[in-house]
Amino acid sequence: MHPAYYMVEDIPRRRFLELGVKGAVALAATPFLMDTLLANSSSGSLAAPRLTVDKAMLDRVIRKALERGGEFADVYIENRISRNIAMEESAFRSANFGISQGAGVRVISGDKTGYAYTDEITEEKLLRAAEVASYVAKGGTPTKPVDIRETRTPAFISVSLPLDQVADQKRLDVMKRANDAGLGFDARIKMVSVSYYDEVRGRIIANSEGRFVTSELPLLFFIVQTLSQGNGTRHMGRERLSRHAGFEMFDQVTPEQVARTAARESVAMLDAKDAPAGKMDVVMQNGWGGVLVHEAVGHPLEADAIARQVGVFTGKLGQKVASDVFTMVDDGSIANARGTTNVDDEGTPQKRNVLIKDGVLVKYMTDVLSAKQIKQERTGNGRRESFRYLPIPRMTNTFIEKGKDNPADILASTKSGLYVQALSGGSVNNDGMFNFTCREAYLIENGKKTTPVRGATLIGSCLDVIKSVDAVGTDLDFGPGVCGKGQSAEVDAGQPTVRIRGINVGGTRAR
Amino acid sequence: MDYKALAEQLVKKCLAKGADAAEVYLESERTLSVAVRKGDVETVEEAATAGVGLRLFVQGRMAFSNSNDLREATLDSAVARAVELARSTSADTNNVLPSDPGITKVDGLYDPAIGRVSLEKKIELAKSLEALAMKDARIKTSDGASYGEGEGELFLANSNGLSKNYRYSSCSVGVSVVAQDAGQQNTGGEYCSRRFFADLLSPEAIAKKAMSEACELLGSRMVKTQRATVIIDPRVAASILGGLLAAIDGESVAQGASFLAAQLDKKIAADLLTLVDDGTLAKGLASRPFDGEGVPTQKRVIVDKGVLKGFLYNTSVAKRAGVSSTGNASRGGFTGLPGIGAHNFYMAAGSVKRDDIIKATKNGLLLTGVTGYGINPVNGNFSGGASGLWIENGQVAFPVKGLTIASTAADMLNGIDMVGDDLDLSRSFAAPTFRIREMQIGGE
Repeated sequence: MHPAYYMVEDIPRRRFLELGVKGAVALAATPFLMDTLLANSSSGSLAAPRLTVDKAMLDRVIRKALERGGEFADVYIENRISRNIAMEESAFRSANFGISQGAGVRVISGDKTGYAYTDEITEEKLLRAAEVASYVAKGGTPTKPVDIRETRTPAFISVSLPLDQVADQKRLDVMKRANDAGLGFDARIKMVSVSYYDEVRGRIIANSEGRFVTSELPLLFFIVQTLSQGNGTRHMGRERLSRHAGFEMFDQVTPEQVARTAARESVAMLDAKDAPAGKMDVVMQNGWGGVLVHEAVGHPLEADAIARQVGVFTGKLGQKVASDVFTMVDDGSIANARGTTNVDDEGTPQKRNVLIKDGVLVKYMTDVLSAKQIKQERTGNGRRESFRYLPIPRMTNTFIEKGKDNPADILASTKSGLYVQALSGGSVNNDGMFNFTCREAYLIENGKKTTPVRGATLIGSCLDVIKSVDAVGTDLDFGPGVCGKGQSAEVDAGQPTVRIRGINVGGTRAR
Repeated sequence: MDYKALAEQLVKKCLAKGADAAEVYLESERTLSVAVRKGDVETVEEAATAGVGLRLFVQGRMAFSNSNDLREATLDSAVARAVELARSTSADTNNVLPSDPGITKVDGLYDPAIGRVSLEKKIELAKSLEALAMKDARIKTSDGASYGEGEGELFLANSNGLSKNYRYSSCSVGVSVVAQDAGQQNTGGEYCSRRFFADLLSPEAIAKKAMSEACELLGSRMVKTQRATVIIDPRVAASILGGLLAAIDGESVAQGASFLAAQLDKKIAADLLTLVDDGTLAKGLASRPFDGEGVPTQKRVIVDKGVLKGFLYNTSVAKRAGVSSTGNASRGGFTGLPGIGAHNFYMAAGSVKRDDIIKATKNGLLLTGVTGYGINPVNGNFSGGASGLWIENGQVAFPVKGLTIASTAADMLNGIDMVGDDLDLSRSFAAPTFRIREMQIGGE
């Protein structure tokens, strides 16, 4: 049974702490390497993990995996060193250091996949995993794999201040700056919580086509939540900042900016009135609002759903599915973005993939298996949470391409409706029904943003919503998120300011 | 490997390296999962793993490290790194570990037979479930069936002398199918999870529910925006009431981040509402002899006939609040710190038959599907997407889809006016069918 629906989570604090270390994995090619890595850690910095692996051993594992048949096998080795610090009520509550390593062996035979993983990276355990994974190819004839060779890969992630050279005190400093800026924003801000997470994830990917890739990626995730109190109510505001980058991220966007954005939302929403219920026009502000198309259009365009013929876009390639002004892109090669990797978790290089062009469906997002099943190119969307999971088609940085409309004109030309400034997150089910919760929204009256409203939900059908987009702004922007599809993935969602005509809005009062 | 000895030895190592107090949480687990589609195996996944989480305090400052590499050199480094990290955090007098050596007796957590059932038999179970769930002519596509199992052992040791462990197992089987009729498509599914393999429901029973869930919304339409009575089906109880768990979390309460923070011993709901948290239920999927930091579990009434009787606490939040731990330290595995969470959480059964609740409803919604985040624990607002069956004059009239539903926690809890007798405790968040007098429905 596959997950009946996919979601981008509004991560509660606890969940975030768990996510930080779940599947905490990164990359010591050999146990020996992990020792080196840890030995260096006591100095307060981690030496960059160097990948050395016995390629001949990997060849033996891949041969073993295909001994009973099957046409594709790969080995994925991962290690992850992570740090997670939580600040609440102006105190550093906890600090968590995570070490995780492991490897998985996969065999594909027709539409079948066998997978086994181990957290001990030794030849004996890998051969055993290969044997278990080959169960699905039982009774076939052996396939001869191509011996692996180093494969050159593109680099979309550059780092000036490597995370492993940053002293713990620097991490505490950015958290404290955010905490102080949040509390200082307004007397009605009663509490600030700051989550800091970073990791270095190393990967070795080797497959029966001869591909051999090593990669090491840093990731930073910084979340500020601010709790306001006033007018007899409370509101938890939130802002997140995340990139595959070094510590220089905090020079480009300061911790103070992040905290003030959350605090501004918290205070603004204390004046919120009940949201109206019923069908209305919606203007969505640029940025993280792109999560709506991530859910409503992105998930149904992932090729595993297409291969299984359960997705709502099955059989619609080349057809007009959206309005003329709507172009949607998934691009895992945007420099240092949260959804970017140099290669996906199957070793396929990242690139810009236009999925819907001027309203016409032109491409699905694939991994190795679904690309073969639907006979389309590999798009670099084969991703996995860790070695504990099989790779599946996932989005990277997904967005509505910028259009020609002036954002101010989009609002001014909307007589009445709902202005959505920030969405929490939402979900879509297999039948193409999506659902979103607004964190910050306002009424539109005579072309102007007026009263803030609380508790608004947006609901609708994927196929309808993209036909109803009638204005697309020039102000494309992005926001970071965690996408769940049975396993989690780091993504960016983006959009310019857009207008959607007639979405069903759920509020607590009738209009 | 002797994990019990390893856990105890690691506690000593933490103390030797400079910790004032230390806790070791070690978990060893084996998992298997199988997915089938259209009568054939799609995936087989298997793994055996172990990992350890170290929590330690240095002069009241807490740090944590975790590793799935259990070799001595790595663990020594993990200890050293945690001691070093404890320099970064703030001192807190509430940073203490439990010392109660007790272990609650809970029956039926581990089934030694699961591992002895052959892989072929488990694959056959999933295949037969899928085939049975395709029998209705309106079911056009299978979204697959699956079988999964896990079994393991958990070890907990701390510097107050605790050293406890228990074994556990669980298995589940489920299916998802797509029904189509007159241009409409609807996916439905059903699963069954149990501690014991022999307790799994028959594939026939599971398939029947999956088919009915897929088909019952075919031919759905919209209704007008209106206020109406809403009957909550047990399968969406968690989506409707789940937000209450975060609102009774003792930490949110202490921080003023819960809409229930000032409501202890006050009437927050209709007399018909009683909520229970039970960590001791025999064979319960969320039962355990001790919580995520070693405190014995218990059974507690959280809301008694509408009156809020207590919150959930782990050891340090309890100390902050000046109460005792309620045995509700939760743990998302060895990689995370203890948080706060419920065990088997349920609404006590009422006395009305489900059919009589429907019969007593003149105009309203039998809610079977809800999306969104449920009740917002901070301010009590509720809003989400809704689907289900529309009720007219005490009878199911037609299916509805694409509606929105909204209210506030106060209105919902006080508006409960009928509670069914059909409580099924096999899910960790359970409720009987119940009715809320009025909610806002958004439609055409």
